[in-house]
Amino acid sequence: MTLFLKMSLASLAFAALQVVMRAAGDSTLIRRLQERDPKALSEVYDRYGRLVYSIIYRIVRNPSLAEDLVQETFLRIWSRAASFDAEKGAIGTWVLTVARNRAIDHVRSTDGRLQAGAMDLDRLENTSLFAQLGTDALSLDRMRRLQEAFQKLTPTQRQVIDLAYYEGLSQTEMAERLKQPLGTVKTWTRSALKLLRDELAGVAIA
Amino acid sequence: MTCAELSDIYELYALGVAEDDEKIEMEAHIARGCETCRLGLADATALNVGILNLVEIESPPSRLKRRVLASIGVEKPGWGWVWALSAAGLLILSLWLGLQERTRTNELADARNQLMNTQGQRDRLNQALQFLSDPQTQPASFGRGTNAPPRGYVFLHPQMGVLLIASNLPAAGAGKAYEMWVIPKGGTPRPAGLFQSDGRRGLHILSGPIDMAALGTIAVTLEPEAGSAAPTSTPIIVASAS
Repeated sequence: MTLFLKMSLASLAFAALQVVMRAAGDSTLIRRLQERDPKALSEVYDRYGRLVYSIIYRIVRNPSLAEDLVQETFLRIWSRAASFDAEKGAIGTWVLTVARNRAIDHVRSTDGRLQAGAMDLDRLENTSLFAQLGTDALSLDRMRRLQEAFQKLTPTQRQVIDLAYYEGLSQTEMAERLKQPLGTVKTWTRSALKLLRDELAGVAIA
Repeated sequence: MTCAELSDIYELYALGVAEDDEKIEMEAHIARGCETCRLGLADATALNVGILNLVEIESPPSRLKRRVLASIGVEKPGWGWVWALSAAGLLILSLWLGLQERTRTNELADARNQLMNTQGQRDRLNQALQFLSDPQTQPASFGRGTNAPPRGYVFLHPQMGVLLIASNLPAAGAGKAYEMWVIPKGGTPRPAGLFQSDGRRGLHILSGPIDMAALGTIAVTLEPEAGSAAPTSTPIIVASAS
């Protein structure tokens, strides 16, 4: 199975560029979106469009379908921006979450996996959750620490992270897919997340 | 479960992949305003997005931004070479139509006019041509025998997906969009993408493989412009796949 995050210097450089661009201030951008300024959506696309496409493409592995889902993602951002807290919110975290969820939702529906999953993901995109995150959630320092942390994961830990983030599988579904005991999969998953969490523990989110 | 026990699965919950019993416990903590879990979930969401941010970067086609902006009613397409490409595509389409029944020709000619409207639709035309020219494509009509309501064709292809071409389709209206649904035999509707009508015609493509044997019906409903997880209105288009 293809393991995820072939993290190249190029992708980190791109992340750095994105961070600089984000520093321009999310709150003004969100306010303009709420005022239905089409140029604001254009700006959001300029900041996050490439990343949104990359995440969606990583999940669906089909360029044409990825384009459809990118369009749906930005349509959703456009139509739901009114509920976002312009003063507190970090729009990037919301945009990337919506993108991932749209793609996972599609994969689940084509796999015939639970309709209820769509409602779960919808609820988890509630903008109030993102109002608690600062704009530094995607800071270069955090990205660098995360990248280093990933190098420390074992192949099995990377595999379960891949299945959760890019295939939307629960631990029970992972155990079935990998033909491993559920307890083993839980150990892999939780130890991987703990390692990533611990590595980021010293990097505060503003 | 305690907050400490739940802290192991904050990230999984925020991803929508926690087990059912864990979801129930988590939501109970949130419902009673548990500050520990609220902060834990915020950190988990930040970690999740950080992980997504490390994905290998792919380059989207440059036309995609125009298409996104066109979907909210801005960024009118330029013409020029779009016309040339569209005309070439339409010629091929016309040849194919010549082999089909006359009524289908008229309806697809309507669709041809619509395809020239936006640059994004030009790309869809290429996809549509692939559909129409492939021997595995199977047509299914809808709206026959009715007067004013939408009518047209659905084309099904096991690898390429579903192509819907409809005429007599009014504009969805402010804050609304048409949503296509794929309904397996004996199953529940699955969302298959949003699209708009120019006031008369609509074209939509669901890309990707479909299970032709299990497919029962293709339907279209009017939904909020962000789409719905399940249909919220009476279908205005229903095409049987059999």
